[in-house]
Amino acid sequence: MNIGFDTSQMLHGAVLTVELAAGGVGVSLVLGALGGLARSRGPRWLRWLIVGYVELVRGLPQILQLFILYFGLTQFGINLSPFTAGFIWMCFYGTGYAIEIFRAGISGVHPGQLEASTALGLSRFQSFRRVVLPQAVARMVPPLTTFVILELKNTTLLYIIGVPEIMYHANLLASNSQPLNIYLIAVGFYLVMNMTLGRLGAYVEHKMSWAKS
Amino acid sequence: MFAGILTLWGQYFGNFLGGLGISLEITVAGLAFALVAGAGFAALRLARFRVLRLIGTAYVEVVRATPMLLVLYIMYFGLGQVGIKLPAYWAAVIALGTFYAAQFTEIFRGGIQSVDRGQREAADALGLSRWQRLRKVVLPQAVMTILLPSTNALADIIKDSSLVITIGLSDLMARTYEATSATFEPMDMFLLAGVMYLVVYLLLSRVLGRLELNVQRRHG
Amino acid sequence: MFSDVMVNSTPSDIAVDIRSVTKKFGERTIFGDVSLQVRQGEVVALIGPSGAGKSTLIRCVNCLTPFESGSIMVLGHELHGTNEAKRGPSREMLKSIRTETGMVFQSFNLFPHMSVVDNVALAPVLVLGTSREEAREQARELLCSIGLSHRVDAYPRHLSGGEQQRVAICRALAMKPSLMLFDEPTSALDPELVGEVLGAIRALVDRGMTMMLVTHEMMFARDVADTVAVMADGALVEIGPARQVLDDPQTDRCKSFLSRVLQQKAPSANTSAPSMGAQIAADAPTQEHEQARDTDRKRKHAEEVER
Ligand SMILES: Nc1ncnc2c1ncn2[C@@H]1O[C@H](COP(=O)(O)OP(=O)(O)OP(=O)(O)O)[C@@H](O)[C@H]1O
Ligand SMILES: [Mg+2]
Repeated sequence: MNIGFDTSQMLHGAVLTVELAAGGVGVSLVLGALGGLARSRGPRWLRWLIVGYVELVRGLPQILQLFILYFGLTQFGINLSPFTAGFIWMCFYGTGYAIEIFRAGISGVHPGQLEASTALGLSRFQSFRRVVLPQAVARMVPPLTTFVILELKNTTLLYIIGVPEIMYHANLLASNSQPLNIYLIAVGFYLVMNMTLGRLGAYVEHKMSWAKS
Repeated sequence: MFAGILTLWGQYFGNFLGGLGISLEITVAGLAFALVAGAGFAALRLARFRVLRLIGTAYVEVVRATPMLLVLYIMYFGLGQVGIKLPAYWAAVIALGTFYAAQFTEIFRGGIQSVDRGQREAADALGLSRWQRLRKVVLPQAVMTILLPSTNALADIIKDSSLVITIGLSDLMARTYEATSATFEPMDMFLLAGVMYLVVYLLLSRVLGRLELNVQRRHG
Repeated sequence: MFSDVMVNSTPSDIAVDIRSVTKKFGERTIFGDVSLQVRQGEVVALIGPSGAGKSTLIRCVNCLTPFESGSIMVLGHELHGTNEAKRGPSREMLKSIRTETGMVFQSFNLFPHMSVVDNVALAPVLVLGTSREEAREQARELLCSIGLSHRVDAYPRHLSGGEQQRVAICRALAMKPSLMLFDEPTSALDPELVGEVLGAIRALVDRGMTMMLVTHEMMFARDVADTVAVMADGALVEIGPARQVLDDPQTDRCKSFLSRVLQQKAPSANTSAPSMGAQIAADAPTQEHEQARDTDRKRKHAEEVER
């Protein structure tokens, strides 16, 4: 289809967007699982530390967080490339969200479940591993889907510091011709990615419906 | 060293406060837009006719898939292509309103649908009209489910208002960025802005949180 | 039923010895200075108004809740109040107490992510080290003996309440406990499902299982329990042989509790001397049975509303 301009650059941007989001989600899930566990079961000081971290992530505007990493750290002689700063921020931000998802998932499991497994003589670890965790993971599927979509959308902010993802290429094109058409094509890119993820999430949720009480 | 930071902070505090004022102004205007549009789209999503429901659903799906920054650019740069030139301020308000209308649509719909079917049936059995049923029976009970996510959405609008730095408005974020290049002490400036954003965020989540508790108590 | 359930016996004749135990939640004392003995093979029913602390007391017995002072001997293991002992019970001791006692909850608490047979086989595999095949085989036998052979591979959410509670009983029995704790096992059930669960419990009583049973089923308690303990206002107000306590209560507190439970269902009955004996004379037993449940529910509901 000839629409008067070359969108192949945007496709390259889309690939980078997906890579960034996938990397960010992967790192965040690992750190978030550890953090969520420490948040529900860890020593008091660690819990407070994690609460503070999560509040920072949720209370500060995303651009401010990103600017602190990219511009702010230069005050201490730390010069990160746009890509590095951007990726670190994706992980920093995502971990804060993932921690909350894991915490809510764990605490959402009915306390009677832990009581029943304790009364049967299972150890704390066994109770957690065999009874609480499987149910927590099943409840976490919908918020995790939302989270992945959020990280995907967050990549647009990296354009502001010069990472060449979809928005970056869209803007290059938009400055020469029909900006509305270009932006709507960008919307199309995001829509396709989101709907794919949404379907995937619904499928996994369906597959895990056994864990619903 | 601390003395240095404090002098700097003192120097810029007034300026930043003015920026925060602009941020809050955009936020409140955007919120008003989003609430009204959200209520409208929620009505569409719950409408009796399939077509209307479809329109509501499509709006929510498309907007929620689109990043906020992209919505802002469409309003500010994109609409120019079809001859609509919005000033930066209104582009920001309309972008925030459009984006968060989708969130509020889902919040309202979720709240209304969370009210037990039996309540609706009881109202019907008493002969209440559709509107009376909504107004006197369903909404008062839905308020509880709506309040908490609405507070979260408001906090998100404040944070997202910082995106207007990209279209040249002089909000808190923009003034902070200007100050970093003027002082060459970026971290110090970001810290001050961070504290100001955090105070607003904590005030909002704590004060509104308490308010919600009160409402909850009153409604049992 | 339960032909293969072994009833172990420990050297001492006393299975549970609760000695002046005091339990608080924060500042609030739930009960103080409570003492109660359960002999091997004895069935003790614990009754009393809602919120009296019955559930809390039996939770103390298998350490689901710590208590402040006093001590409890469970199957030869000594538990001490947190005020008296520097350290809580050791991990090994907790494990043996929980292995040797089975607990059945009001709300079943089956594991929703496992099939029925896996619910029953889980603890033997993880705690006793039984092989998976063997544990599942034993679980199947237990489930068959309770009449659930056709539900073995179902998931809990597909079972009726009565079936779920019977699975929960099997899950506890799979550990071959020598003491069973029941916390209102039939309170969450529809009236027509109560019978099947009570039947399963009765079968266990017949096999000589030692039991502590919190219940609002007065008729059932009168029937199967050796001893009835009445808990009210943070104390055990009366302990004695089941029929004696229920038919001819001695303390005022106990009288007023029983009269409240029994009064409402048969207004014509003589209310000045409320007793089960009189009620039974006035009513056919089966009717009585269901009405008692009903009254109980209403009362519980009324008290919840008051709170
Ligand atoms: N985890 C807890 N924290 C604080 N208070 C509690 C807790 N568990 C129970 N309580 C309180 O302790 C009191 C006794 O509760 P318990 O559940 O033992 O009563 P019960 O006799 O079993 O009543 P019911 O017949 O309603 O089951 C109640 O007033 C209850 O509110
Ligand atoms: Mg209880």
